[in-house]
Amino acid sequence: MNAIKLLVQRRSYPLIFNRTATTKKKIHDPSEEDRLPIFQYPISKSSDRRVYVWGLAETGALGIHMPRGKKKGKKAYRNNFSYAWHPIRSSFCERFDVTNIACGYGFTVAAVKTKEQHKVFGTGINTDSQIGYHAPRMGHPLEMLVSPAPIFIPYASLETKITGLAAGRAHTLILTDNEGVFTLGNNAYGQCGRKINPQEEYKGSMVSHNIKRLGKENIKSVCCGQDHSLFITESGKVYACGWGADGQTGLGIYENQGFPARVKGDITSENIVKVASTADCVLALSDRGELFGWGNSEYGQVPMNSKQQQVNMSYALLSFTKGLGKIVDIAAGGSFCLICNDQGDVFVWGFGLLGLGPNVQHTSKPTQIPAPLFGRNEFNPECMVTKVACGIGHFSSDN
Amino acid sequence: MVNIKDAALAYKTLNGIICVYKPSCVSVRQVQNTILTHLCRDLNSLPDRQLEKRVEIIGATNEPMQVKMVPNYADHPLACGPRYIKEDFRCSWATHLGLFSSGVLLIGINDGTKLTYQINTARPTRAFKVHGQLGKATDTYFWNGRTMERASYNHVTREKLDRVVAHIQAAHQKTMFELSGLHMESQTAYDLASQGLIRPANSKLPIIYGVKCVHFDSPNFTLEIQSVNEYDKYLWTLVHDLGIQLKTAAHCTGLQCVRQGRFNLELALLRKHWQLNHILNNMDQCRQLLEENENLLKPKSAHLTV
Repeated sequence: MNAIKLLVQRRSYPLIFNRTATTKKKIHDPSEEDRLPIFQYPISKSSDRRVYVWGLAETGALGIHMPRGKKKGKKAYRNNFSYAWHPIRSSFCERFDVTNIACGYGFTVAAVKTKEQHKVFGTGINTDSQIGYHAPRMGHPLEMLVSPAPIFIPYASLETKITGLAAGRAHTLILTDNEGVFTLGNNAYGQCGRKINPQEEYKGSMVSHNIKRLGKENIKSVCCGQDHSLFITESGKVYACGWGADGQTGLGIYENQGFPARVKGDITSENIVKVASTADCVLALSDRGELFGWGNSEYGQVPMNSKQQQVNMSYALLSFTKGLGKIVDIAAGGSFCLICNDQGDVFVWGFGLLGLGPNVQHTSKPTQIPAPLFGRNEFNPECMVTKVACGIGHFSSDN
Repeated sequence: MVNIKDAALAYKTLNGIICVYKPSCVSVRQVQNTILTHLCRDLNSLPDRQLEKRVEIIGATNEPMQVKMVPNYADHPLACGPRYIKEDFRCSWATHLGLFSSGVLLIGINDGTKLTYQINTARPTRAFKVHGQLGKATDTYFWNGRTMERASYNHVTREKLDRVVAHIQAAHQKTMFELSGLHMESQTAYDLASQGLIRPANSKLPIIYGVKCVHFDSPNFTLEIQSVNEYDKYLWTLVHDLGIQLKTAAHCTGLQCVRQGRFNLELALLRKHWQLNHILNNMDQCRQLLEENENLLKPKSAHLTV
């Protein structure tokens, strides 16, 4: 019995002696740090940019469907989905040095900074040759492109740079630095700025029209409505062509206009810096920060004294926007208008989802969208909106 | 400065919250302990009350006896111990501060423990100064951890830091709406959002309302963070994430709470002033501040105020 006790005692002793004096974690060796390598993460260059796309992908307008080898059927394309619910990176725009992007109805055009022939790429619906002629077989032009393809434009010189792009329902305007504007696509209403030919076939058309100058002046900026086009010349004069049924050309008529003509009304004496239009209402901004408007006014976008709903000449909206300060940016949607002033406040009027809460559907006066929604609060009182943009039923702001 | 004459009176007035400056590397419990020890020490050194009297009836029982009042030595501090001991005080803190954080700490004494509970449930914003260093990542995200990685940081500029910091702030605005407990597409949520910032409905997730870089001297930088529901380790990880987004490594070198609700650093008592007269004075200031700002204890709306 004693022998067993001794054994037990002997066994337990080493256990006691092995226990460490402290329960603290082992203190690490400070010189270990010096032995670690200094890691260099890959850093993006200042010229690198990322372009994100989202929305309806079914028409191929996002240009994210990438061919996947020799597979057939459903698996022939990578990213073969119909909607992009969240912004996803566009590899095309990152591979090429894209400077300008414009979105039309179901198609996208992008301008690339290059000295080669292919400066403009297009993807999406091509039923009216709005993104050029693409035919894998002779006489069988494609009506839809799912990934970006170059658009052939007959430039006089390859040094020409693309400075602006605009896209409407089925036409595209390409503004260059010294060759004027090239227009492609549907010309049924004269939106391409050439003679309207009722018999013209637009599918598989190889026509591109060049508007070199307007009124002996170079064109500075272009804008597309649904089926009309607007041009601003160097001295701030506005020219328009295309569909005029709602007065959106501002030429004092309700007929279609084939050749760009100067917009009549109050803006003739002004220096216009920006025009905005996505559907059939047009807003213009002068260099003094004053607002002008014409076109469709069914929802009171361009309020008139009479119950006129189609305004066919430009009118100054000075008394309408009185007290809002100097306007710095404008945007016109399908049924509403949006302006932003030099204080960084955003005002909206018209009909639809206006950003004034789910209960407000219509407002006839410019109403301020509460600034806290754009991030101005007591911790960042200097947060300002500097740019606004909109589509037909949505809008966005840039702080 | 209050002139205290009587320990019993002083003890009775010790009901309320005080605002102290917690040094780093001292735990909140230790701060609480120190303050209570100092209070006991100061109260015990004050002029004490009279000793209790003991009735002594002496003399023979068969003749008129003599009734005498004599001092009761059982009540003497030397017999029964000091008059005030730590267990005589109730004490609690409003919001916890980690061991390595320093700054404003609210401590409730006696009836002030109710106030600290109310402040805790009212969830006032706290402002932190977070000091960080680029180029090194540690396993604890803090300077005292073991170095896990070293990375070059020469490419980091003030502009890049500001851009990432603005991105962090914007990302947290969305959590703010989610934690308000309202349906995102309702008119109520819109009305609330158009007023400004919204307080969270519970204390589960940290929300950051504002991040700003106040000092940048590569590799050291300082961020000012306004937040609710945060804790020290969360802010350390924020610095670590900032480092990753800047394509380098970063760790936190210090954390200082500069404001809680309306209580700021000027009000906070330094360690050398943790004495009875200063504490009583501070308690009075805090009481005034709470009377002026009722929403510190009972916020009336979901709208966030400083």
